[in-house]
Amino acid sequence: MLSFLYARQSGVDDPVRLRRAESTRRVLSLELNHNRDVDRIHGNGINTLDIEVIDGRYMLSGGSDGVIVIYDLENNSKKPQYTCKAICTVGRSSRHVHKFSVETVQWYPHDTGMFVSSSFDKTMKVWDTETLKPAEEFQFDGNVYCHHMSPVARKHSLVAVGTKDPKVQLCDLKSGSRIHILQGHRGEILSVRWSPRYDHILATASTDSRVRIWDVRRASGSLFTLDQHNGDKSKASSEAVNTAHNGRVNGLCFTADGLHLLTTGTDDRMRLWNSATGENTLVNYGKVVNESRKGLKFTVSRGCSPEFVFVPCGSAVAVYGLHSGELITMLRGHYNNVDCCEFHPDYQELYSGGKDCNILAWVPVLRQPDIEDDETNSKRGGTQAAINPAFEDAWSSDED
Amino acid sequence: MSRKRALIADTFCLTKRRRCAADSETDGAADVRSSLQYLMTLFSRKLFNDSLPPVVLKHQLYSLHNDKTLVDKQVNELRENGELLMFQLGFDSEAFALVFAEDYRTKVLQGEAGRETLGTVEKFLAKLIPGCSDLSFNKEKMLNEFLFTDREITQLVKSGVFTVRDAGSWWLSIPNSGKFIKYFIKGRKAVLGMVKKSRYGEILRTELEERRTTSQVQFQMKYHVHDIMGAELVECIKTTSGTLLRYVD
Repeated sequence: MLSFLYARQSGVDDPVRLRRAESTRRVLSLELNHNRDVDRIHGNGINTLDIEVIDGRYMLSGGSDGVIVIYDLENNSKKPQYTCKAICTVGRSSRHVHKFSVETVQWYPHDTGMFVSSSFDKTMKVWDTETLKPAEEFQFDGNVYCHHMSPVARKHSLVAVGTKDPKVQLCDLKSGSRIHILQGHRGEILSVRWSPRYDHILATASTDSRVRIWDVRRASGSLFTLDQHNGDKSKASSEAVNTAHNGRVNGLCFTADGLHLLTTGTDDRMRLWNSATGENTLVNYGKVVNESRKGLKFTVSRGCSPEFVFVPCGSAVAVYGLHSGELITMLRGHYNNVDCCEFHPDYQELYSGGKDCNILAWVPVLRQPDIEDDETNSKRGGTQAAINPAFEDAWSSDED
Repeated sequence: MSRKRALIADTFCLTKRRRCAADSETDGAADVRSSLQYLMTLFSRKLFNDSLPPVVLKHQLYSLHNDKTLVDKQVNELRENGELLMFQLGFDSEAFALVFAEDYRTKVLQGEAGRETLGTVEKFLAKLIPGCSDLSFNKEKMLNEFLFTDREITQLVKSGVFTVRDAGSWWLSIPNSGKFIKYFIKGRKAVLGMVKKSRYGEILRTELEERRTTSQVQFQMKYHVHDIMGAELVECIKTTSGTLLRYVD
């Protein structure tokens, strides 16, 4: 670490190199920290998390009870022990709350004045954060599994919605219209994702084992379908030709630069694709246990080298190296299945939510400062701010 | 101070890596071939009266090497060179069998000796072994590229080199491999049952390899252990007494 600092100082190294090395070191040391907690509001499992991109301060969560909560992640108290408080909730008592489970929530990509949530009650609601009332509501014919707004779009405000219907619907927030439909899939759409690189490229994953890449400006069908065998028709059985997975495809995630796309399927495999050509890079991650009947929300780190993929696997979060495919570690801490995870790029923290109604914050281990004079800093003096009151030793006697 | 050993990124281990870099480079390249040869020795030839070439499954290699992507890459290189043949076995879409090309050729011709299909099979093998690395063949390819007639294709199916996949397409297969697949599936189920029935559903690998094989298990225990480890049907945990295999539901 000191050599990196010195190299940056003397100009031998690019400034980015120190930042990347330190980010990678921090991500590798992620663990549960007893100083960091997230308020427990949900009474039922947590299906989705989203951290806003502007400040990285506010986090949205949607639960199986239809409740939506907004948390403040920033630690403004002077103490290291901090619970991320829930600032406001759309609870069961609200008139506009979703009737059934909220599947996806997403902040409006350009500011925190608005967020969009979609749920199994066949609606998608656009909420005003100030008043917590929906400004717009879109009704659909079937359960809404997922929706996504493009993070880089300036010219359009389309929300792609994946429902039980094989047609992907694009809803326009500016005009409220939903006439744009993408046809091509033959099964329910479990996951949709816009590319973070181009505002017109959309990827959709469906129960028919196919992943399609669309250019929304074109009137005709999809650009291409991802093929796990890269066109080698001899490898697959005849039904499995041109499929991305040998089962339902339920997770999609673009890497931060938008050059690669990750997909997970119920065949217990995760695949990495070149998003421009649709070629399977054939990185072998091994068995990535996936039993989810709905979409799986996983995430990729940002700013590290090599990048890491955080995938919920049962009751743990598995961390894989993106291009090497090796399993780095399993983050264990949840009591039940993990459904979603979200990476905070500025602090290299991971937030994961699951069926046990907890949101866990995985924080990089800090190098502890050396405390030299233990006798003079008495505990009663209160200077030992590092100790969480729950862990303070209040029972042992000094007389022994 | 955290007492746990922390994961360290590659960039922070520069000095140590420079010293061991020399050894690890050369090991990677030739290793897959030597692992294949080792696994082939575990295959029980006598069981099939020497009519089958030694067969290894691709995922058995994953139990010997850490980096699966590298193993896949090297296997594909060997296939491109024409040294290795890969077959789709049929009971699992992810299970691929690997056979050295030379072994395959000798055994198939040995099995065909004296039959009328010998000529066609020889012609096909001559086309297949240096050039083609496909797993299945369809009618246009056979008729146009390889210039085989319909009757010759029927002879290939009769000899066991082709198995029907679909109307007008065939899988490449190993003749007389039906018995192999049967014993393999039975043995795999039996070994997994042994792991499951152990106390707490886990057993040390060395202990499992020393167990007596029941009548269900016809292959060597080591062969099956490599199979279940590589296919991730059991969880492999490193302990101070060796590798522990834990049953996964």
